[in-house]
Amino acid sequence: MVDIEKIEKRAVRSFYDDGLFEIALGFVLLLLGGYFFAQTSVPKDSAIGSALSVLFVLVIFSGGFLVNLILRFLKRRITYPRTGYVAFKKKPVSGKRRAATAIVGALMGGFIAALYQLSPSVKTLLPALNGLLLAFVVLLIAHRVGLVRTYVLAAASAVIGFSVTAAGIGDIKGVSLYYGLFGAAVILSGSAALIVYLRRSPKPAADADEGPDAH
Amino acid sequence: MPTDVSALAELDRLIHEPARLALTAILSVVDSADFLYLQHETGLTKGNLSSHLAKLEEAGYVAIEKTYRGRIPLTLVRLTATGAAAFKAYRARFRKFLEKT
Repeated sequence: MVDIEKIEKRAVRSFYDDGLFEIALGFVLLLLGGYFFAQTSVPKDSAIGSALSVLFVLVIFSGGFLVNLILRFLKRRITYPRTGYVAFKKKPVSGKRRAATAIVGALMGGFIAALYQLSPSVKTLLPALNGLLLAFVVLLIAHRVGLVRTYVLAAASAVIGFSVTAAGIGDIKGVSLYYGLFGAAVILSGSAALIVYLRRSPKPAADADEGPDAH
Repeated sequence: MPTDVSALAELDRLIHEPARLALTAILSVVDSADFLYLQHETGLTKGNLSSHLAKLEEAGYVAIEKTYRGRIPLTLVRLTATGAAAFKAYRARFRKFLEKT
């Protein structure tokens, strides 16, 4: 008997088969790590230091855009010629949902900023907090997609964050190290998936993209 | 005919065929997909896939667009509103049948 839900879940999961999403995301995480590292390398009161602080919002918002750009480029060259083209439905996001997400984000940011001011020792916990936050986000993706390696990445995020904190590397330096290490882990995971994908999915013969008319 | 079996007889036979059921299930969660993707996901041969898509297109359940990506011919398939409604109705009837048995 055909399991409809299994087929639907498999179709959604196919987006992640090639590991390219992780490679693109890992690259952006590395860039984020580089950004935080640049912040620790320049004097806070310098013009560059101020400019970097202002750029932070731009970095966060352009991250998603950059992941999409890299992903489209890679999928066009690697995935579509091998296992075909698919466009997934974009779920419309209501105004209420956007507002709720913005409020939750602002509350979380405000909470961490307040903690930072009230208790300077929070600086030492920043890598662990980032690790936990990203672990939660990755776990949500893992639950939706059902890929074992995504659960492993969620665990890796928490472990890396706590390890950097435990090593006594806190504040922005620790955050930079966390994003660098987690970014590398995500790229490694994506690359392993890509190798398996390339072995299982060789490029079909030249006429493979011709549809029903060829038969 | 007993009620539970008659419920099975009411199912849309066009969609009920396993290959076409798989195709409509996949197309229900994507916006559009090309021939190669559908072939890869269903494991059907080219001929088989063409035949099933032709039947679904004839019923108005899918729309097939032949286009190009650069110089490569591309056959894009998407579920129509009629197809989406038919699949939704099929799912509801099938679920009802399973609950009764």
